[in-house]
Amino acid sequence: MPRQVLEDTLTADSIGADTALAASGDPSAFERLYRSHVARIHTLVRRMLDADETDDVTQEVFIRAWQKLSTFRGESAFGTWLHRLAVNVVLARRKSVGVERGRFITEDEPLDGATGRRETPELSLDFEEALARLPEGARQVFVLHDVEGYRHDEIARMLGVVPGTSKSQLHHARMALRRHLDR
Amino acid sequence: MNDLWTNRLSEYIDGDLDNEERVALEAHLAACGSCYATLAELRQVVARAQSLKDSSPPTDLWPDIRARLTPGRRPGVERARRFSFSVPQLLAASIVLALLSAGGMWIGLRSTKPTVTANQNVTSPPPDYTLAYASRWRTSTDAAVTELEEALTRNQGQLDTATVRVLRQNLAVIDRAIAQAQRALKRDPGSNYLNLHLANTMRQKIELLRRANALAAGQS
Repeated sequence: MPRQVLEDTLTADSIGADTALAASGDPSAFERLYRSHVARIHTLVRRMLDADETDDVTQEVFIRAWQKLSTFRGESAFGTWLHRLAVNVVLARRKSVGVERGRFITEDEPLDGATGRRETPELSLDFEEALARLPEGARQVFVLHDVEGYRHDEIARMLGVVPGTSKSQLHHARMALRRHLDR
Repeated sequence: MNDLWTNRLSEYIDGDLDNEERVALEAHLAACGSCYATLAELRQVVARAQSLKDSSPPTDLWPDIRARLTPGRRPGVERARRFSFSVPQLLAASIVLALLSAGGMWIGLRSTKPTVTANQNVTSPPPDYTLAYASRWRTSTDAAVTELEEALTRNQGQLDTATVRVLRQNLAVIDRAIAQAQRALKRDPGSNYLNLHLANTMRQKIELLRRANALAAGQS
């Protein structure tokens, strides 16, 4: 697929060049970067935080990116750098608002209570809705590991927990979500 | 149903069990239908997570973001900048633009019918590049760029419109970088760094034009 390869290459080059232009203070180049990355960042934020915070935090991510572009050295793709920045903003948000209680699923907590019972098809939740109803800590572990591909040791560092906690929360989240696979 | 092994199933899926535990769990799975079924469901959850799609925000957030950006320049670097952009940013631009030639290398390698043979001597600034012949080098480079742009205009009909569109976008980005470097040079014409940066940026434009022409030739 040479043409597709060419298009992919040139698209990556275009993002790279826009990154350089944005770093030199060009808002138009930064808008192009925003347009090409906002869906990924907005979705990440929505999955990790409450829905009513998503727009504000997404805006915060891009403003921080604009301010920090001079620190971007091109060692990774811009998208990877922006994604990591977004994760950091989300986790800092969690600390700043003091969201601590109820973060994780406890061993004896009924999992159905976290995501709603699937007693009838009509009452069952969409997978994304079920994900949104998980306790924040378990949800963030699940999103970071299963959706975004981070390792447990990385997640543990980011969340300030031990890797064993990350593993157990992931398992509890998966156990809860398996009830919502149908829709 | 839960048993001692149920809580280890995710670790099993992720390959986090040691060999002894893995063997023991697999033996358990052979005898426990409940754990076997749960394992299959958990694997479906993992697959579902990996297939989730991104979605754009329901409202355009850019106007609010744009309103909060420092107009024209970023905070924190404004005072230090003498030119339209700083040396570290120019370095970043050089690195990014260097990707153009690396990313397009395969095009040149597969081309067998190049229709344009611009002066080979202008593709790179001399290794001992100095201000003394910067303007002479740029004059010959300008001629090569003009020749290649004319050739691309003739040949681009061989490429599909999406490819041409992306090519033109990239050329526009490079042209803006060249214009910025030229503006910076007007303020600081004695800067070896800016002269070299401009030369390298123009070289990248030539590389992209050459490869685009080579690709067009390969399609004909």
